[in-house]
Amino acid sequence: MSEYNGCELPEDLFYDLDYVWVRPEDDGTLTIGVTDPAQTMSGRLQKARIKKVGTHLEAGRHVATLESGKWAGGVPVPFAGEVIARNEQLLEDPHLINIDPYNDAWIARVKPDEPQHALDNVKTGVEALAALEAWIKRYGVQCMRCSE
Amino acid sequence: MTPIDQIMQQDHERLDQLLEQSAHAVANGTWQEAAHFLETFRHGIVDGHMEVEESTLFPAYEHQEGGEDHPLTALLRKGHQDLRVFFEEMAEAIQNQDAETFDDLLSTVQTILKQHDTKEETELYPFLGAALADHGEAAGKRILDFEAKSSS
Repeated sequence: MSEYNGCELPEDLFYDLDYVWVRPEDDGTLTIGVTDPAQTMSGRLQKARIKKVGTHLEAGRHVATLESGKWAGGVPVPFAGEVIARNEQLLEDPHLINIDPYNDAWIARVKPDEPQHALDNVKTGVEALAALEAWIKRYGVQCMRCSE
Repeated sequence: MTPIDQIMQQDHERLDQLLEQSAHAVANGTWQEAAHFLETFRHGIVDGHMEVEESTLFPAYEHQEGGEDHPLTALLRKGHQDLRVFFEEMAEAIQNQDAETFDDLLSTVQTILKQHDTKEETELYPFLGAALADHGEAAGKRILDFEAKSSS
């Protein structure tokens, strides 16, 4: 696990180099969530809306919208696909994203239309980490995650 | 000539009203009217307001502040990118006559716009007069011309 300014950046994930992380699953689906620096920027989340299971999304469309007292924004999918699962717990307790953004607070699982191209618009490894560190530096983010 | 910061702020207010009119039409179930107001709003904000900001105002501010990778304009550009997607989703909700989805999107968009507009009005616009060679006269004229065409 890489860390920069207190922000955790798992090396095995793919990133859109902005707010979103993507994790390929064994069954060919992709799990989506928001990064540690993104949850820090957003502040304590109070509302989450996630698209219903069965919804088809084009690349760039929002699979979820999140709101805190000071911020609101969408969570875009980097590829086209169908929502096959969503994290119902977040609808009740969106603040979980501020506590555990990479594990318990995954947002949705999406089956890509074109699995061979699903990761074309995301980066991983050294290139991704360097870009995310630049992102953190640009916005002056110092990560902190809530314990409860 | 009205200063550029006032023109941009007034344009925010005009666009907010168009969005409200679209929301009102959705609440009344007058879908054609809702689509018309939303498209007028979208055209005004994306093709007018954002276009002037991204092509002229942000670069001038970035030039004055010493670089393209400025956190304020990066955040504002990201906001524009998000908003463009939300506007498409709102248009689809109207097309599908789906008031529930439209209202959810409206709530998020209005929150984003409120924060975005406040940031622009307090951290960007007051400094444009000094950042632009003509003190913003050409950019202001573009916005006013766009408003005039939209209302004609």
